[in-house]
Amino acid sequence: MKLDGLAELQTLEFPAAPFYYIRPSDFRWLTPRLLVAENDPVEVGTPLFADKQDDRVVVVSPVRGCVRQIVRGAKRAILALVIESETSAAPFRIVDVPMPSNSQDARTLMMQYGLWPMLRQRPFSVIPNPDAQPKAVFIPCFDSAPLAPDYNQLMEGKEVFFQNGLKIIRMAAGNAPLHLCVREGADNSLFERCEDVQLHYFQGPHPAGNVGTQIHYIDPIAKGETVWFADPQDVALIGRFFAVHELSFEKMIALTGPAATTTGYFTASYGADLTKLFKQEWGREELRVISGNVLTGAKMEDFPTVRFYDRQVTILREGGQREWLGWLLPGFRKWSFSHTFLAWLFPRKSFAHNTSLHGGRRTFMMTDVYDKVFPFDIIPLSLLKACYIKDLEQMEALGIYEVDDEDFALCEVVCPSKMECQQIVRDALYELKMNS
Amino acid sequence: MRKFNALFDAIDSFLRTPATVTATGSHIRDCVDMKRIMITVMIALCPALFFGWWNVGYQHFTVVDGMGCAISFWPCFWYGFLKWLPLVIVTYVSGLAVEVLFAQWRGHEVAEGFFVTGFIIPMIMPPDVPLWIVAVATAFAVLFGKEVFGGTGYNFLNPALLARAFVFFAYPSVISGDKVWISGGNDAVTAATPLGMVMNGHTEALPSTWELFVGTIPGCIGETCKIAILIGAFILVFTQVADWRIMLSVLVGGYATALLCHVSGLCPVPGYQQILMGGFLFGAVFMATDPVTAAHTRVGKYIFGLLVGILAIIIRVLNKGYPEGMMLAILLMNIFAPLIDYCVVQANIRRREKRYSQLKTTRR
Repeated sequence: MKLDGLAELQTLEFPAAPFYYIRPSDFRWLTPRLLVAENDPVEVGTPLFADKQDDRVVVVSPVRGCVRQIVRGAKRAILALVIESETSAAPFRIVDVPMPSNSQDARTLMMQYGLWPMLRQRPFSVIPNPDAQPKAVFIPCFDSAPLAPDYNQLMEGKEVFFQNGLKIIRMAAGNAPLHLCVREGADNSLFERCEDVQLHYFQGPHPAGNVGTQIHYIDPIAKGETVWFADPQDVALIGRFFAVHELSFEKMIALTGPAATTTGYFTASYGADLTKLFKQEWGREELRVISGNVLTGAKMEDFPTVRFYDRQVTILREGGQREWLGWLLPGFRKWSFSHTFLAWLFPRKSFAHNTSLHGGRRTFMMTDVYDKVFPFDIIPLSLLKACYIKDLEQMEALGIYEVDDEDFALCEVVCPSKMECQQIVRDALYELKMNS
Repeated sequence: MRKFNALFDAIDSFLRTPATVTATGSHIRDCVDMKRIMITVMIALCPALFFGWWNVGYQHFTVVDGMGCAISFWPCFWYGFLKWLPLVIVTYVSGLAVEVLFAQWRGHEVAEGFFVTGFIIPMIMPPDVPLWIVAVATAFAVLFGKEVFGGTGYNFLNPALLARAFVFFAYPSVISGDKVWISGGNDAVTAATPLGMVMNGHTEALPSTWELFVGTIPGCIGETCKIAILIGAFILVFTQVADWRIMLSVLVGGYATALLCHVSGLCPVPGYQQILMGGFLFGAVFMATDPVTAAHTRVGKYIFGLLVGILAIIIRVLNKGYPEGMMLAILLMNIFAPLIDYCVVQANIRRREKRYSQLKTTRR
């Protein structure tokens, strides 16, 4: 899938943000229990809210400042905590923390300082249960999604921290095998220098970089098993904390997209107000600013900030322009995975993608389109149908534990019936989680 | 006006692409939609249709008027077109009436599936079939083949074939025998289709392979010209609208069976001629590949296709009552497609379970 607006290898100037928006919805199915009140002062690492299921799992403040507002929505659900930062403060805090000596130690320290949510577990892509033992840990070290950031750029200068982070995670995971998945043919020297890891080379187009695909090919998840996964930058942040005692949540994020006036990389903590970065684009109706990539990202609506696990901002043009007899035109400029438009005869470098749905919602009709973009040994249509009717037993048999909604993103893109595949899978996973 | 919502929406989205933008999930989507897929199928059907128009006229002038090869191109084309036009109008009016009624009743958009169904139905009818029969057959097919099961996408029988089967069993005299295949004929004029000849044992009068291939023979409007059908197949495969797996396996299954029948002396017609006769190729390319009613899994598609081909030839050769086996073979396999899929899915489940347990033992 070709899109304009790949991030240039330039560093964008991003001054310290005045506000931070911390949203519980960034963490899947987490029900927050507030630990701060409005006007409370906070430090880097002050717990803001805990998981109601497990008090030990906390999300902490990424900056020093003051809780200005707690924004609530329907049924008083917490939408965001607005933190006004002291812009003069350093983006990290020195904490004198001992090197953990065993798995329990490592887990406790990570939870105490809000680093635990950086790990996620499959199935379900939720924050791992602090008492569970994973069978493996996966670190996907490249991103194959459209306009994905370059990991060498993201990881620049973080190599030592990364290696230290791997050590901590291995300890926390009770010496479960650590799998690093890299792109074949790319410059992987940074990852190849890591010790005590299993390096796996992947090739091919998206979703080769999805952790779900990688797990499926290396060590698939059966019922009752869990694996952990984490973003390399988060691993480096964990390593930094235990190596030089700096508690920081600053990550490098790529600004991309065909409608972005400038593209490049910038450094920010999660929740940072990014309006200064895309002043020209923010708030315009004809543009959509997305946290994440175009396949799995979320539209930024009320809060101009990236989600906890995202490393990319994409700016797209809104669609919805109506076209006379659009289904009949030859379509020289229309992107399609099928060859039904003449554009495939004249390959272009990239297409002017927008957010149009390009058609009406129908029932499942074309039965072979999903297979072409779904690299699992799982029958996508059967699984989707089982998910649709929430037949839990059938879902389990068909391999639901191996997939996540993001694995169906491409199915959703190419579906001529315009099925909301990701939503179907997400709802089904929720049902499964609630019943297990 | 609310009563006409479904109709209004259908016309609106027919004229202009919808204004909807993505709300959940992926922010960008493929430009293709069901309308585009359906129009591609219709384009692929056009070569066969154009030839069909000409051939209807050609057969008429040759046999009825006895003009032989003296007639020119356009009168034939025009004659066939005028034969086809009322058929297609009646099909669409009758079928769309049922479609729109149900869309309105159920409160969903009118699915475009019927555009192809309605396009195919006249092509698999003899040219002189009475219009009221076509209307009844179409309404029956849409109602009982599709809408009672929930509409397009939920049907398990190919609606166009169901319409033909309805005519075949309810009004056999208009679609079988030797008297219906030439337009404008009377009882004195008989012209058997090649399949009819084989059934009656008149193999000496069979057209040459070349004639079978080009299609200057009596038959349904769309099925005679194999070159045009192959062009259609080419379009469908290259636009990735229809699955080549089904087409190929129908051909393989059909040819292998026909060859066996010929070698074993069951049938005097050589294998390749069986493939070129009747609606075999048309069915393989346009009807068996219907994504909704064929098997849904990849492996299932091969099995489905092979069985369609095998059954079609077996019905032709062994059942003297039905010269054309393709229609019944596809309908029968439509019914068995979910069973095939079930077996393939179970095999997939077992294979994965095996992999899990293997990995578990190696870890220990």
